[in-house]
Amino acid sequence: MASLVGAFAASHGPLIIREWERVPPEQKKRMAAAYKELGRRLTAAKPDVLIVVSPDHWSNFFLDNYPAVCIGVGAVNDGPPEPWMKDFPHRTLAGDAAFASHLVDEALRQGFEPAVSHHLKLDHGSCIPLWRMELDRLPKIVPMLLNSIEPPMPSLDRCYRWGELLRKAIESYREPLRVAILGTGGLSHSIGEKTMGAIYEDFDQETIRLFGGAQDGLIRYLDEKLPTHGNGSEEVRNWLVAHGAAGGRGFELVDYLPVPTVIVGCGFAAWRIQAHN
Amino acid sequence: MRDYWLSKLFFDLQSPALAAEFRAERDKVLARYPLEPSVKDAIARVDVPFLAERTNAYLLRYYFFATGMKDDEFIRRLNG
Repeated sequence: MASLVGAFAASHGPLIIREWERVPPEQKKRMAAAYKELGRRLTAAKPDVLIVVSPDHWSNFFLDNYPAVCIGVGAVNDGPPEPWMKDFPHRTLAGDAAFASHLVDEALRQGFEPAVSHHLKLDHGSCIPLWRMELDRLPKIVPMLLNSIEPPMPSLDRCYRWGELLRKAIESYREPLRVAILGTGGLSHSIGEKTMGAIYEDFDQETIRLFGGAQDGLIRYLDEKLPTHGNGSEEVRNWLVAHGAAGGRGFELVDYLPVPTVIVGCGFAAWRIQAHN
Repeated sequence: MRDYWLSKLFFDLQSPALAAEFRAERDKVLARYPLEPSVKDAIARVDVPFLAERTNAYLLRYYFFATGMKDDEFIRRLNG
């Protein structure tokens, strides 16, 4: 049977690539160290497959049809389409069609209805953390594109439940796969709105603290605060998926630092995974 | 509120080739989209708040990034 061997989260703001050379040295050093530490832990977990939970930043979907959740079931997906991501070392990323299809089947059995795609473009949201983690070898990537960009978005509770569902689906897969989850994005940031550039450090710190407690309190807090703490902060949904998969037990904060140069409250987390009885 | 065709223009301008054509021959590109006159006028006047009310914030930012506006100027105009 397959097993969950790791759950992680990391920020993915575009300026982490585009403005990297302008990041003050001490902050750059901490960010690089945090990404590498996640990469080290991911490598140590030896995953065969990595489920990457990210929004689609208008790379695949438009107003014609923007799914709440789309799972990539293709054998291969394209790398990032953004011109400024041209140096990302993978033009294509191998998927795992059989495992991804199993996730979809299990979701449908449990009353969840993801969209599916047989060929996605994985934009900076998925690829910046993979790049910055400096992995020697990429596991197969199963993309889960979760809408935190364009309303209406899935509820925060639903995102947590998606995590729980993924865990069950992983553990019901017959092949002995080792599976990890990476939620990307967040923490606070504001893009293309009047508050663009704002980082809400108090919000980030309280969010981090609440991840250590019961999910009801965390979700209540986020439901109340997200509308006024930057549209990019909505990406915390991806962290909730990882949280749900890890059983809501809280994570080890690898690092958190607000980085004005990249206009993101940058967070890096690794969940404590315990085997289900 | 979402203006579909304004949003479609911004979405399509993620293509580097179209963005280059837009910078060189803006009116020719705009003619392919059934935009309201007030929207065309707002694009010409770089009326960021007007456009912001009609599209997704990420698409808005992409548009001004693709057309070469620095973030500081974009934020200043957005709050203008």
